[in-house]
Amino acid sequence: MADFFHLPDWAGPVARYMLHTGLPGTLRIAVFAVLGAAIVGMVLGTLMTVRFEPVRWLIRLYIEVWRGLPIIVTIFILYFALPDLNVRLSAFNAASLGLILWGSAQVAEATRGAIQSVPREQHEAAAALGFGWLGTQVNVIFPQAFRRLLPPLVSLLVNVIQNTTIAALIGVSEVLQSGQRSVERLQFVPPGDSHAFEIYGAVLVMFFVISFPLTRLAAYLEKRLV
Amino acid sequence: MLASIDWQYIADHIPDLADGLVNTIKVSVIAIAGAFLIGAVLGAARAHRIPVVSQFAACYVELIRNTPILVQIFLIFYGLPRLHLHGLLPNGILLTPFEAAWLSVMVWGGAFNTENFRAGFEAVPIRYREAAQALGFGSLATFLNVTLPIGGRIALPSSINTYVSVLKNTSLLTAIGYTELTSTASSLASFSFKDVEMFFVLALTYLALVWTLSALVRLLETHLALPERA
Repeated sequence: MADFFHLPDWAGPVARYMLHTGLPGTLRIAVFAVLGAAIVGMVLGTLMTVRFEPVRWLIRLYIEVWRGLPIIVTIFILYFALPDLNVRLSAFNAASLGLILWGSAQVAEATRGAIQSVPREQHEAAAALGFGWLGTQVNVIFPQAFRRLLPPLVSLLVNVIQNTTIAALIGVSEVLQSGQRSVERLQFVPPGDSHAFEIYGAVLVMFFVISFPLTRLAAYLEKRLV
Repeated sequence: MLASIDWQYIADHIPDLADGLVNTIKVSVIAIAGAFLIGAVLGAARAHRIPVVSQFAACYVELIRNTPILVQIFLIFYGLPRLHLHGLLPNGILLTPFEAAWLSVMVWGGAFNTENFRAGFEAVPIRYREAAQALGFGSLATFLNVTLPIGGRIALPSSINTYVSVLKNTSLLTAIGYTELTSTASSLASFSFKDVEMFFVLALTYLALVWTLSALVRLLETHLALPERA
């Protein structure tokens, strides 16, 4: 029984490598992508409610394009096609930017919905109090919309975190890529078992541990705030 | 910028890209059909709180929704062949790229669809089911004739969003070497250095697919809208 809980010899170095090299990479790209997607998305979503139509069309196009494309295609374009047009991005920057484009499009759409759910009278009341457009948005509309926005925002940001794994496909150092490297290395160590099931299973568990509390939080906020 | 695009290269490789597109659609259709079945069965089990199945479905949904699909694909394609279970499976579970491809996106779509259908079935007013029972329908007949058609329609917009995501997620099958659209375009790009051309065509193809599907959804929504809600 004691042996059951004792980790096999190969697991120690793999776990250390994935936790010390992979996990910080995932967290770094997740922080950039989550912050970028939330900020850009909320600004664009707010601008979606202006009266000036060309602005709305442009943002609508932005949303439809970056939501319509698979994230991996966006990241491939940024990483492989842009250098031909003399724009060079590192793998990390290309992956972060790709995730921000996709995530901000999702957040913008959610923000627009949340803002439009604020009753008209609130706009009129703010105008009566002498607020300008920006003052109305910042002081009156957005604080109320934010309550509605928060639950879907948390779920969207969980999706952004999960999609950071796509960065592994262009060679960014993160958890999945550190797992991939461990699998490849173990194949060449006698007896040649890659332990791919255990390693990718561990990656799955890591993401579950990060995501599950956040999706519970989103469900809780949904009940409390909406 | 447009002038420097090698249109001839694109034209010459349309047949290759079309093969990739066919594989993308093939996997998507299988996965969507499977996700529909999984969603309808497990969604019904969740909505009607069928013991054991309902709890199993809840775990399945949480596991899939809280983990990245790319890791699921890796686990199914690279991990399952190495699953020995202490000698119970000496050779593991070896899948071809095609089998792993449709299986992984189907399992993913099925989990999201279970939630879509659960919400749809739960939104069917209880008096409809009571009416069916009063007419002498058994529980299975009530489900098939009342809950499924009405709840399925309520779940339609969200489940079609899931199907669109299934289609987009097939692009991740590049990672296991299944020759769908994305992997066809990116390998052509890496042979020829025509990255701008290939990824431009790739992006346009996905946008055309996704936008057409979304437009169809809106048509279907107005067509299938329940009279009471319209």
